[in-house]
Amino acid sequence: MLNTLRLSISDIPKISGILQTKINHTAQFFLNSPLVLDCQDLGDKCANLDFSALYKVVKSVGFVPVGVRNVPDDCLKYIKQSEWAIMRAATKPSRKKNTGKVDEPKANRVEVISRPLRSGQQIYAPEGDVVILHQTSSGSEILADGSVHVYGTLRGRVLAGVNGEKSARIFCQSLQADLVAIAGCYQLLDDADTELKGQAAMIRLEAGKLIFEPLA
Amino acid sequence: MSKVVVITSGKGGVGKTTTAASIAIGLAKQGHKTAVIDFDVGLRNLDLIMGVERRVVYDFVNVINGEATLKQALIRDKRADGLFILPASQTRDKESLTKEGVESVIEELKSEGFEFIVCDSPAGIEKGAYMAMYFADEAIVVTNPEVSSVRDSDRVLGLLQSKTRKAEQGDVVKEHLLIARYSPVRVDEGDMLSLEDILDILAIPMIGAIPESGSVLQASNRGIPVILDDKSQAGQAYSDVVARFLGETVPHRFLEVEKKGFLQRLFA
Repeated sequence: MLNTLRLSISDIPKISGILQTKINHTAQFFLNSPLVLDCQDLGDKCANLDFSALYKVVKSVGFVPVGVRNVPDDCLKYIKQSEWAIMRAATKPSRKKNTGKVDEPKANRVEVISRPLRSGQQIYAPEGDVVILHQTSSGSEILADGSVHVYGTLRGRVLAGVNGEKSARIFCQSLQADLVAIAGCYQLLDDADTELKGQAAMIRLEAGKLIFEPLA
Repeated sequence: MSKVVVITSGKGGVGKTTTAASIAIGLAKQGHKTAVIDFDVGLRNLDLIMGVERRVVYDFVNVINGEATLKQALIRDKRADGLFILPASQTRDKESLTKEGVESVIEELKSEGFEFIVCDSPAGIEKGAYMAMYFADEAIVVTNPEVSSVRDSDRVLGLLQSKTRKAEQGDVVKEHLLIARYSPVRVDEGDMLSLEDILDILAIPMIGAIPESGSVLQASNRGIPVILDDKSQAGQAYSDVVARFLGETVPHRFLEVEKKGFLQRLFA
């Protein structure tokens, strides 16, 4: 995954603050992931930006700084002196465009987490499922556009189908969650009328209601 | 090869400093050159527990700011050879701890041949705690048998695996769980979480359980770490923890309710 940061301001402390907030929300999700700066919106203001300082900021919050793109030509020389690579926008139309659209594989992205999800940690799997091979803790939060599978005890909050996907499901080995939700339809487990607490269970959405079923 | 060990917990008052003091003394007594650093800038306690409060001249922040050398600030312990204490500053705040400063102190300790560098973390998950854990190779997470302490420890375990240098390098900090103030009687009565409950939630290996004991408070007030009181159960339990930390296999003790003898019951 390549993250792009579209710069619209050149105030480094402000950028740092925004990145830090982002990282704090989903520390593990973005940790050590590559980041590209897009300077299109910034235009000539690039000249006011200290790219070396920004490099340090991006690195210190946990991203891996990669390159800069869409910079005005007169700033190129200036940026070359910093640690950033310069990524040129493709000028030639790619061949694929001419031959029509090639079908992208339709399979969903799967986020696999192979360590316990601790209190205060949050996982978000955009456009896909999340599979957790361990337990999750009370105070943790799992969000997925698709389904959620937990091969351990499920505690904390779990939200599947957060983009409104009603066919998303939740599976777990031991149901001890605080809150479960599918496509925005949520329920506190304490309020749920189910005998499956502490047992292997599957949760699905049917006619606007969460249905709890045992996992055979 | 030096090892940086952080003693952390999230919640305050669970026994981090008591543990740091006892483990540092235990390691030194086993012949390992050890330094123990108090990261609780502004609320320093380690010097009291270690009984060296009247010998503090320079502190950790002085060294970071270059106002004193590390040699000047380190206090040699008179009870255990090869043990040195680096006290926190009482007059500054946690913002004085910079990543570069802490790193330079830890690197200098390593180059001085310290085998273990024990970092006594402040409570909370703010800067002080973050600095204490950042350079850790191993972590001893101290928890009490009650729900809020266990949840805070869980939070800290999450941070250990995301906000440390090891985590940033794709490596893991080795985790140990130490349960302090454990009282088998109160577990039996249902007042406290049992070991099984705690291990089920935290899911990391337990390095030891320290029984609730009056001798811990007494030892703290006298400035003699409880591990030196080899008659107390808490002291013996800490000795076991140190042995396990050094790789020995020692059975866990003091986890069951003691059966009272006939005479004890008669005079109870």
